[in-house]
Amino acid sequence: MIMSKKTKKILGKVGLWTMVILIFVYMLFPFYWAIISSLKTEAQLQMMPATFIPRDPMTHKISFSFKNYISVFQNIGFIRGLWNSTIVATTTTVLSLIVGAFAAFALGKLRFKGKRIALYTILSMTMFPQVTVLTGLYAVVNVLGISAMPSMILSYMIFTLPFTTWVLTSFFKDLPVELMQSAQVDGATPFQSFKYVLLPLTAPALVTTGLLAFISAWNEYLFALTFTSIEPTARTVPIAIALFSGKIARQEPFGEIMAAAVVVTIPIIILVLFFQKRIVAGLTAGAVKG
Amino acid sequence: MGNKKMKGLAQQEQSLATKLLLPTFLILLLLAAYPLIQVFYTSFTDKRFAGVNKTNFIGLKNYQKLLSFTIKEIDPKTQRAIDVLPRRPIRFKELSRINIFGKHYIIGASDVEFIKSIKDTITFSFWSVLLETILGLIVALVVNSNFRGKGAMRAIMLVPWAIITVVSARMWGWMFQSTRIGFFNSLLSQLGIGNGNISFLTNEAWQMPSIIAIDVWKTTPFMALLLLAGLQVIPGSLYEAAEVDGAGKIRQFFSITLPLLKPAIAIALVFRTLDALRVFDLFQVLLSTRRFSMASYNYAQLINYRNMGMASSIGVIIFILIFGFAITYIKMLGVDDE
Repeated sequence: MIMSKKTKKILGKVGLWTMVILIFVYMLFPFYWAIISSLKTEAQLQMMPATFIPRDPMTHKISFSFKNYISVFQNIGFIRGLWNSTIVATTTTVLSLIVGAFAAFALGKLRFKGKRIALYTILSMTMFPQVTVLTGLYAVVNVLGISAMPSMILSYMIFTLPFTTWVLTSFFKDLPVELMQSAQVDGATPFQSFKYVLLPLTAPALVTTGLLAFISAWNEYLFALTFTSIEPTARTVPIAIALFSGKIARQEPFGEIMAAAVVVTIPIIILVLFFQKRIVAGLTAGAVKG
Repeated sequence: MGNKKMKGLAQQEQSLATKLLLPTFLILLLLAAYPLIQVFYTSFTDKRFAGVNKTNFIGLKNYQKLLSFTIKEIDPKTQRAIDVLPRRPIRFKELSRINIFGKHYIIGASDVEFIKSIKDTITFSFWSVLLETILGLIVALVVNSNFRGKGAMRAIMLVPWAIITVVSARMWGWMFQSTRIGFFNSLLSQLGIGNGNISFLTNEAWQMPSIIAIDVWKTTPFMALLLLAGLQVIPGSLYEAAEVDGAGKIRQFFSITLPLLKPAIAIALVFRTLDALRVFDLFQVLLSTRRFSMASYNYAQLINYRNMGMASSIGVIIFILIFGFAITYIKMLGVDDE
């Protein structure tokens, strides 16, 4: 059968849109399910079969409940977790950016011996299995006698620091050499030209890299679980949610867990949507150019 | 004069570079180098986690306990596993049975859970990386083509990736409920498949596919992102030329897109495989001690059983395994060709 060009084009369009819709549903459905579950009461959650929109068990009319959100915001463990996570992830990000920017400037713009080795040593850290260093890291923390929060901040740098250094290095490399040269002609030392000329120019890159580092620190589970095992007040959000067990011990409060899930996810989604163009650029620079 | 100034500058740069790199290397030394050496040493001891007992050097005993296995012939009618498997100096437990030409053999291991966790982790990594590469490629191709609202689509595709792993595990755990309260059982029973009571996370046959499904959903965006980056580097003129030559879309895909995308695919594969082999959160949150990944078994040995020496040996074994994978992978795919 020979198709005319027009039918072919229409078929292509239909195929493309089918794929777009399929991907859309696949990517968003689980989150949608979490949202509607968070708006159901205990009785609605127990309805069989599960409903796609919260409905009243008796009348089957649509009915939402915000009870789960109220109890989530009254849950001290969760609120504390949010606070702890914010502090830990922010501090980790800021420290990694500062230390990483120094290293990245050196690796991206300065000429010195041992550059390749330095670069590869830092890169090899990203390939590191976190579990391997878990016990050793625990010993280090014990010897230094630091408490859970600083331990997490410090240990998260094992994956955020190589990452920020790596991505920022490629950004520094891309800045024109003339910028630094002209600053030096004007009498600036290399460090001054870094601080006053190049660093301000990498501000957008710093924001993107920072965001990605923040997300991975916000996400971290293994170190947090280990370091807070004997200090429950330092628990971060992932730990708080993993250990969520409402006021009544008899069963898991799924409605509340889903409400908590929605609460922690929305800010990150807004951040990601806001920065999505930059994220693509940031990853391209880091990963493909290497 | 100018030359002297240049030399001064070079020296200045060298010493500045050293100073700037110092903090990074100090932190990495403290966080990685020292713990690695410490883990390596502890793996030869019987050190207890948060214990007060004296630590003894026990040589390779931890490794022996973790990795020993044996194969014995068994007569399934008259013998039990306990009759044929050695019990001294270490006790062997049944790992699995095989049947070759009517003869029955039993495979015993001294640490069945660990051997299983290695097998499960590799199975998990293989399937989830394979599926997310295929799906990621499809998503990247679709998002890269021209249609209205592709910017929005590109943003939406990042949503699963932005969700905390633990949170997505709980979300999916809820959808995988073992009755029709859960989404999947509801859906399947409405389609007339299953009885509406499939226990996805407790039934051994369903655990792996369920966990893989969650991981694929969560990480496909990352894969798609890396591949999208690769796709955008391919010059559009190549496709125009192919169009002129009368090559169809499928032909274009196999002779232009795929070969040129190879470096991006290779990098994404390495990244994701190494990540998958380290999987922890998913197993810990959804399966806890019912089924282990290598990392969650390591964690259980350390925290639940307080066997720090044993946990360290597991860490070393994982490290060697992943390192081996990384090297073979990079060699095989020729990532370092450039």
